[in-house]
Amino acid sequence: MFGKKRTRELLLVSFLLTPALLIFFVYRILPLLWNLVLSFTFWRPAKTPEFAGLEHYNEMIFYDDVFWEALSNTIIYMAGMPIAIALATIVALLVNARVGGRNIYRSAIFISYPMMPVAVGIIWQWLYNERVGLINYVLLSLGIIDDPIAFLQSTTYALPSVMLVGIWQILGFFMIILLTGLQSISQNLYEAAAIDGTSNWRQFWRITFPLLRPSLFLCFVIGVISSFTSFDLIYVMTGGGPGHATELLITYIYKTAFELSSFDYAGALTIMMFVLFLGITLIANRIAGGEAGKIE
Amino acid sequence: MATVELKNVIKRYGDLEVVHGVDLAIADKEFVVLVGPSGCGKSTILRMIAGLEDISDGEILIDDTVVNELEPKNRNIAMVFQDYALYPHLTVRQNMSFGLENHKIAKAEIGKRVADASVILGLEDYMDRKPRQLSGGQRQRVAMGRAIVRNPKVFLFDEPLSNLDAKLRGVMRTEIKKLHQRVATTVIFVTHDQVEAMTLADRVVVLKDGHVEQIGTPEEVYHTPASVFVAGFIGSPTMNFITGSVSSSGDSVRLADNFVLTPPEHWHAALAGRREVTVGIRPETFHVADAEDASVLDIKIDVVEPLGSDTMIFFKIDSAEAVARVVPKLGLRSGDTLSVSVDTQAIHFFDPENGQSLRGSEA
Repeated sequence: MFGKKRTRELLLVSFLLTPALLIFFVYRILPLLWNLVLSFTFWRPAKTPEFAGLEHYNEMIFYDDVFWEALSNTIIYMAGMPIAIALATIVALLVNARVGGRNIYRSAIFISYPMMPVAVGIIWQWLYNERVGLINYVLLSLGIIDDPIAFLQSTTYALPSVMLVGIWQILGFFMIILLTGLQSISQNLYEAAAIDGTSNWRQFWRITFPLLRPSLFLCFVIGVISSFTSFDLIYVMTGGGPGHATELLITYIYKTAFELSSFDYAGALTIMMFVLFLGITLIANRIAGGEAGKIE
Repeated sequence: MATVELKNVIKRYGDLEVVHGVDLAIADKEFVVLVGPSGCGKSTILRMIAGLEDISDGEILIDDTVVNELEPKNRNIAMVFQDYALYPHLTVRQNMSFGLENHKIAKAEIGKRVADASVILGLEDYMDRKPRQLSGGQRQRVAMGRAIVRNPKVFLFDEPLSNLDAKLRGVMRTEIKKLHQRVATTVIFVTHDQVEAMTLADRVVVLKDGHVEQIGTPEEVYHTPASVFVAGFIGSPTMNFITGSVSSSGDSVRLADNFVLTPPEHWHAALAGRREVTVGIRPETFHVADAEDASVLDIKIDVVEPLGSDTMIFFKIDSAEAVARVVPKLGLRSGDTLSVSVDTQAIHFFDPENGQSLRGSEA
């Protein structure tokens, strides 16, 4: 069926792919399948598993208020991503302009991204602190507030405060992606637009924005992934509290599995999160015309 | 209706001056080609006229109005870029109407102008395609269409044909010439290709290192080049340059032992008193010697290049390489010997020091 040369090539390709596929299978596919199995069983450590049918899903959807709170928090957290992308676009446009010291701005903004989330969480915990935090100090000094605010201990402010940190940390990464996208747009297009008398506003919406679309969608997908996986940041800053005010699905899954030892129920939660995540990514990619991250 | 005038235009990048005081007056509807090797400043001059580069010193006038401080959009010009600069995400139709929409022109009028331009350029069948679905020549036409619909005062072309293959380049050259006859607008065209310059231009501006070497009609720059540079740049194969020694009265120039030229009388005064001179002889100025020739040169042919319509023969005059264009029927082969002579009316003499033509006031 295949020529000799083709067979050899196929063998070589399979051989070279094997290590990567093996790791992917052992650490991604297998746990996912195991979660799927868990989600349909009653399973406690050192006890015989029993078939549970849809019992866990039934409980999750009809009886578990925390699940719904965690889901709604996750969606709110995710809704911060378009804000981050919009901010990153503005920043990228600014540092892409020929201004003095733009390399310094670029580095300063990007530097938040490679920092460890745990370190970021601790730093911001101090910044948000009610008594010694810089943010309260500034707000008080400017007379914007009369009494210090316990940002991370307040059910009103905790989630927005945590979101702000999430946005701050990922902003630099989005900026780099968008900057790369901006720089791949030919300068000649802007010169042609200038000669054609295009206003800056129209130039952005009719030229820059459409040509930046693949980069914007790449940011969106990364943003969605990060809002489903921002475990360490939340866990360090609030632990999901106060109450469940900053509980995300990922922190709830962790607590269910490792603090309550309900691995079976955590498995069901994980499957739910996976389905949601897959759905959002597919829709996003459909809207992007399947071109997320593509460079023209 | 537009004239373009450059008065002592200078461009500096920091301390580096790249355009040194260019003066140029372009008449309404004139087709002017700026030509020169890369780095001669031709594109910079065009971009200054377009308003894409600041003018460091001097003035640029369009229709007698100084435009130094005007934004590109207020200069009423259109430009065709080397890489076409088409918007990749817009269709041909959208690309062509984009500029008009900026100027708040009525939809019906835009549609009409775009349709007219598409007919002129033969793009009717491609109006809903994206640029990436077009060939190089079609993209080139779209870029021109985008310029035409604007009805600009001046068309600027920045090496528009250099991304096309040789055959298509010839076709597009003809189309641009036809287009100019049809729309009758002032055109400034930049190229490094002397054939494009010669075939398209009403007047050619030859540039070198940010200086104007010569401005003239194609015939003028070809037949009365102002310098060795212009003489060598215009014409293919390039002019032969041979050092000759001048007789004291300036009425004869010796190129080789038995080969003495008698320059036409109008050169004598300029040649008198010189010892050496650079003699410029175009390949077609050589001919196979006959009985009427006063002085002939016996050559040994090194290489023969038959082109069909002509044959090029390469040989040496003393140690200098030379090429001659002869009729193809001679059946010459390398190693053959031949007696040649030159048409002394068509030879050029240049100062060997500064390369300027010695023609002086006669030109």
